[in-house]
Amino acid sequence: MAQDPSKSGKPVRAGEPNLALLLTWLVPGAGHMYLGRPLIAVIGFVLIEGLYGLGVLLSDGMFLEYLPLEMRSRFAGALTPEIGNLGALIYQLKTYGYGLVAAGGQPLPRAWPATMDIGTTLTAVSGILNIFLMSRAHLDARQPVRPAGRGPGPTVAAFASWIVPGGGQILQGRVSRGVAFFVLLVSLLALGTWLAEGSNLDRERHFYYWSGQFMIGLPAIVAEYVHGHSPITGDIQYADAGVVIASVAGLLNVLGMLDAYSHSEDRLLAPDEPEEREMGVTA
Amino acid sequence: MNDLPFHLLIFAVTGAVIVIVSAMFSEATDAAALRVVPKRILYFFFGCAVVAGVMLLLEHTLASAT
Repeated sequence: MAQDPSKSGKPVRAGEPNLALLLTWLVPGAGHMYLGRPLIAVIGFVLIEGLYGLGVLLSDGMFLEYLPLEMRSRFAGALTPEIGNLGALIYQLKTYGYGLVAAGGQPLPRAWPATMDIGTTLTAVSGILNIFLMSRAHLDARQPVRPAGRGPGPTVAAFASWIVPGGGQILQGRVSRGVAFFVLLVSLLALGTWLAEGSNLDRERHFYYWSGQFMIGLPAIVAEYVHGHSPITGDIQYADAGVVIASVAGLLNVLGMLDAYSHSEDRLLAPDEPEEREMGVTA
Repeated sequence: MNDLPFHLLIFAVTGAVIVIVSAMFSEATDAAALRVVPKRILYFFFGCAVVAGVMLLLEHTLASAT
């Protein structure tokens, strides 16, 4: 019989958190199905696998063909946002791999479909969304019943910080910190894009750096669709520096997402004295 | 080396953002984060200067073409 957490002092778990996380990584929603929450499981599965499927359809399953021949390997997809949706990535590798191969083992080049960019963006978004669903499954396994009125949950806060840097902190009421994250990281992305003259905004050119840059969310996606994919007509003096700096901006936003997540998690799991802890008051 | 001031400026801006964001990540409150930033900036740029110095030393001693 489950104990009342308020009496025992120990939280009641809905399941094994790491198992819920692992199941979600393999199949979106499977972790929540295991936790006995079929509604969120079905919604998560349909949304995340639907996005991935649509992305594969629009890109004709060719996103790994962006990689040059010497970089193609079994684990080449491990540093892409799609790794967040492991089951779908494995399916894509098995089904499409690196494209058609001639009799001699040489790959047969194909033209990108017209919807290649939006397709690969959708598969990447699917992977990122599943990471948030994994974190939610892990949390739901540890804390099945959540006290109301404690601000956004950790997953929502982290997701908001991915969509707009600092967004999660602003939702939590930490406005100055949120604004600081936004200004610093978007400025860094803008600096990198300016130095690279927009050549960083293209997954085909910079496959792995693009993955880092993608972690800054909407600013990178909007910039890519407004300014990206432009032909390079001459030497870009600071192309390398720009690509690295834009990627660093995205990777630093991971710290912003973790900051938002841990702040909400602290409030949720130790809800007795949130105000005192925020003010830095110690006993 | 003609672009050295511009290179240093880019490095200073990028390094400052890295240090400030990491300080905000590691400190729970904004006040504590602001307090540690100057020291961390000093350590970061001093560490980078040491690495640059070692790289230049190795380049001139081991990788020289002459």
